[in-house]
Amino acid sequence: MAKNIKKLLRAKGFKVMMIGLWRDNPVFCMLLGICSGLAVTNKVENAIAMGAGVTFVLIFTALTISALRNFIPARVRIITYMIAIASFVIIVDRFLQAFYPVIREAIGPYVGLIITNCIIMGRAEAFASKNKITHSMMDGLGVGLGYSYTLVIIAIVRESLGFGTILGFRVMPDGWTNWVMMAMAPGAFFVLSIYLWITRTIAGVESKE
Amino acid sequence: MKVLKIIIFVVLLGSFFTTLLVAINHYTTPIIQKNEELKKKRSVLDVFDISYTKENLEDIFSDNIEVVQKENKEFYLSLSREVAFGIKGSGVWGPIKGIIAFNPDFESIKGITIIHQEETPGLGGRISEEEYLAKFQGKKVFPALKIVPHGKAKAENEVDAITGATMTSKAFEELINNQVGEYLALIKEN
Amino acid sequence: MGNLLTIFIAAVFTHNIALTYLLGMCPFIALSKSFKTAFGMGIAVIFVVTLTAAINWPIYHLILVPAGCELIYYIVFIIVIAASVQLVEMIMEKFFVVLQASFGIFLPLITVNCTVLAVSLFMVLRSYSYLATIVFAFGSAVGWMLAILIVAAINEKLRLVSDIPKGLRGPGIIMIIAGIIALAFLGFGGMVRIQ
Repeated sequence: MAKNIKKLLRAKGFKVMMIGLWRDNPVFCMLLGICSGLAVTNKVENAIAMGAGVTFVLIFTALTISALRNFIPARVRIITYMIAIASFVIIVDRFLQAFYPVIREAIGPYVGLIITNCIIMGRAEAFASKNKITHSMMDGLGVGLGYSYTLVIIAIVRESLGFGTILGFRVMPDGWTNWVMMAMAPGAFFVLSIYLWITRTIAGVESKE
Repeated sequence: MKVLKIIIFVVLLGSFFTTLLVAINHYTTPIIQKNEELKKKRSVLDVFDISYTKENLEDIFSDNIEVVQKENKEFYLSLSREVAFGIKGSGVWGPIKGIIAFNPDFESIKGITIIHQEETPGLGGRISEEEYLAKFQGKKVFPALKIVPHGKAKAENEVDAITGATMTSKAFEELINNQVGEYLALIKEN
Repeated sequence: MGNLLTIFIAAVFTHNIALTYLLGMCPFIALSKSFKTAFGMGIAVIFVVTLTAAINWPIYHLILVPAGCELIYYIVFIIVIAASVQLVEMIMEKFFVVLQASFGIFLPLITVNCTVLAVSLFMVLRSYSYLATIVFAFGSAVGWMLAILIVAAINEKLRLVSDIPKGLRGPGIIMIIAGIIALAFLGFGGMVRIQ
């Protein structure tokens, strides 16, 4: 059923993007890429950098794989995806080091871990290897933005409660005591689980048990 | 034939991405090195409390600071014969790195800046706040610096601990005491 | 020796790769529904993580650094990981059929388990020696297994007796359990210090 709907909507690039934003949102629906989703969301700026990085890698991997889709020999398919993804991740990493060294230091090794973010490999295999370049790039953009806004929402909650700020600006009243736990690992688990609870209830997604 | 096709494909793909990465590397390496250099210079100027702007950072640094290398250790000397150097060690959650500066008497602290730390935000993490680091100004590191429970610092080698972060305070005390002696002895020879 | 022990304890408890660095979460969520699968995945992770770190260290320090190609280490590491997973799978199919039947299905999943790549990246970042790298890799994987076992065991019992809200079922509740366990692990903080 879901596949049929997708086929219908695939006709238009824009609609493809909208699916990525809500119905197939990588984090709350497919539960992919939560490692980095949890780890970098203690501050909004880190979440934005991570979201932008993942979106960039998604779009360009989609471009590469889609352009090469008729030439890639089936046997080296996965390796090709990996080389492409890893190369774009290196570019993101160098770019952050050169222009945003502070953010790079904060999210350090997690940039490299974009490689194992299953969203990217998943989209390359499921979409880009079968579709036109423009549609694949729109799909990458949609999924990337869907991933990013989820990270930013979680980060807004964690940063405002954990540090009393959003993007470094004070948002909490003066007497506010920071919830230290929110800035640390347990806070990430709690906020994401509550986020999942809310979105899944609204979207009516049920877990197969 | 099939194998040949695979080999050609992999070679082409590999060379394409290698070229791309070499180009990116060529473009970003100088910027990255410059960033690190600037970061170091900023921290040194900060610790000496010399004001600067983004534009004149390099000039101010070269006018005010003399860099001395000795036995693989790097010292920064200001015009008024104050000295600064890097210190590092382990905190509770990860490494702590910083720069410490001494007055010309080579035993009282002029200032400390923290470059890197991973302590608990809001508790041990306050170690990098200027407000806390200001407490170290003028304190003597001989015979040894002591970080004592909050509000109890009296003697000239005692500093208040961070409230609720005994472990971080202890680690910080150790990392200062472990390194300053050796560095100061070296620079005194000059 | 004392140093190696410190690294091991840090990797298992205070710097647990799942509960403080939040790594390896995809399989963590997917597999912590039953204790048995969690156990199988845990063993597979211990094996692959230690093996790949042991291979990646010499490649990085003896080939990439002397040749000045540190830039491409992401690519090299991920290929080594994919290749060694494949190799382990083939060896198991051939010689350890019993083992293959019990946790062979987890092997292909490991390539996308970020713990494996993360351990190799941390090893470069913290410039560990060869021995320290192996101890760190083994410890991290043991820590990951410990975390997934605790969460899976709690989850298994919890599902039998409690009425969990619909939207929270599955990943949501696993995340809450993991959060509480992560809080408990914070208590280990300061037990050992690493540089």
